[in-house]
Amino acid sequence: MSSSPVFAGNAGLNESPNFPLRVVDGLTLPPEYRKALRPGEEWKDSTGRARQLPRYFYEIPSWDSAMKIELATHFLLWEFIQVDVREAPPLRTFPRYVPCAITLLAVCLERFREAVGTLVHISANGGYRSPSHRFSKNATPHAWGVAANIYRIGDTYLDNRSAIERFSLIARETLPGIWTRPYGAPTGYAEDHLHLDLGYVLSVPRDVNS
Amino acid sequence: MPKTETPTAARERALRTQIENIENESGANAIAVALHDAETGFELHYKADRWFHAASTIKVPILLGAFAAIDRGELLPHSRVHVRNRFLSVVENIPFRVESGRDANSAVHNAIGKMMRVDELAYHMITTSSNLATNLLLGVIGADAVNRTLKELDVDDGIELKRGVEDELAFEKGINNMVTADGLLRILVLLSEGKAFSPALSRRMMDILHGQEFNQGIPARLPKGARVAHKTGEISTVAHDAGVVYLPKRKPYVIVILTEWDPAATGRSRTIAAISHTIYEFLTQGPPDE
Repeated sequence: MSSSPVFAGNAGLNESPNFPLRVVDGLTLPPEYRKALRPGEEWKDSTGRARQLPRYFYEIPSWDSAMKIELATHFLLWEFIQVDVREAPPLRTFPRYVPCAITLLAVCLERFREAVGTLVHISANGGYRSPSHRFSKNATPHAWGVAANIYRIGDTYLDNRSAIERFSLIARETLPGIWTRPYGAPTGYAEDHLHLDLGYVLSVPRDVNS
Repeated sequence: MPKTETPTAARERALRTQIENIENESGANAIAVALHDAETGFELHYKADRWFHAASTIKVPILLGAFAAIDRGELLPHSRVHVRNRFLSVVENIPFRVESGRDANSAVHNAIGKMMRVDELAYHMITTSSNLATNLLLGVIGADAVNRTLKELDVDDGIELKRGVEDELAFEKGINNMVTADGLLRILVLLSEGKAFSPALSRRMMDILHGQEFNQGIPARLPKGARVAHKTGEISTVAHDAGVVYLPKRKPYVIVILTEWDPAATGRSRTIAAISHTIYEFLTQGPPDE
């Protein structure tokens, strides 16, 4: 549990009254969280370019709250934070932390859901995962909270070229600036889900001092 | 019968002859049997150091590896694992998938994209021999860690774990998981005696083995009162069964029956059941006094 975060936002008059999560400056979190989240640190992507990790996070107090909080009309917070045993141990218990940009991803997925007209399922380990997650080898937008691995849309499992390429096209036509992984087996490709992301987006809440 | 042969030795010789007769009549290419009776201390090792393709019996060492991780605190029984049907072959890391049709129940395949608990995966790996559950568990704990566990427990002799299951590329290259009857026997004796990590963890593993749903082998011709904690294994060229038999009013016995066949051969389960029945009769009907 964070003892005394420097910044605790969302108390402003213009904040959404239905979004009760506290904003936390990752640099003020206890050492075990800072080690796992690496707030504000640089991390190299697969091409060697340095990317700056998120510093500001929403604090999720419990699984119950994650089950109730809507990030968009058809997306609840829990859908973005399902991680398995490969996630760093401190980040598998509550309170949990997600980068503030997660709300942007939710809005995009809501738009995508409107376009496909049915349920969009984010896979386990396929929403936010920390830079310490065992799947996170290079800087991945998953650690910025702006990437989603979608394994199923409606009754269609995205485990073949036809389904992945069809929904990938819809995503790119619907969401300006979205990036989707091409279908295929090698590293950088995907063959059993649709990966889409917004890049390395940082979200800095208005009330933050620095 | 040689003049110096004890009654026990004579009985053992008779048992070997019976198994040999079953083997000769079965049409199997090879049969191996290992037996340890906790009640009498009697042991039988019939070609028990011969290597066989492990098929799904390799899931017993993997179960041991999973519980070793639990014992070390690296996993909890309720730790969650992402169910994803994508694995890398030991041959050049080429991706492959587990065919859903080969798993006897669809519970694990139905959870693709979601998560399942370690103890659920262990249960499905053993009781319905889910290949998907097996590869998921092995992906979390690692084959090297399983092999280290076997070595630490001094049960690595007779077990060669090299890869997950349904790695067809590895199969084509002859890279296979292999076992001997004695190798599997040592693991099952350890489990049945409650010596794998702790009595409580051993009991949990035995409980899983008791849930076995494929009962055409060792249990098939045993009396109704018999309870068998076991694991089967079958591919086109082998059929195995290895387990612990609990009978009323006596200590259990551990039995491993490994068989190798031509792909078109029939009568595999019948042969395993016949050997199991022969051993049951030997242990329960023989004159114990010398």
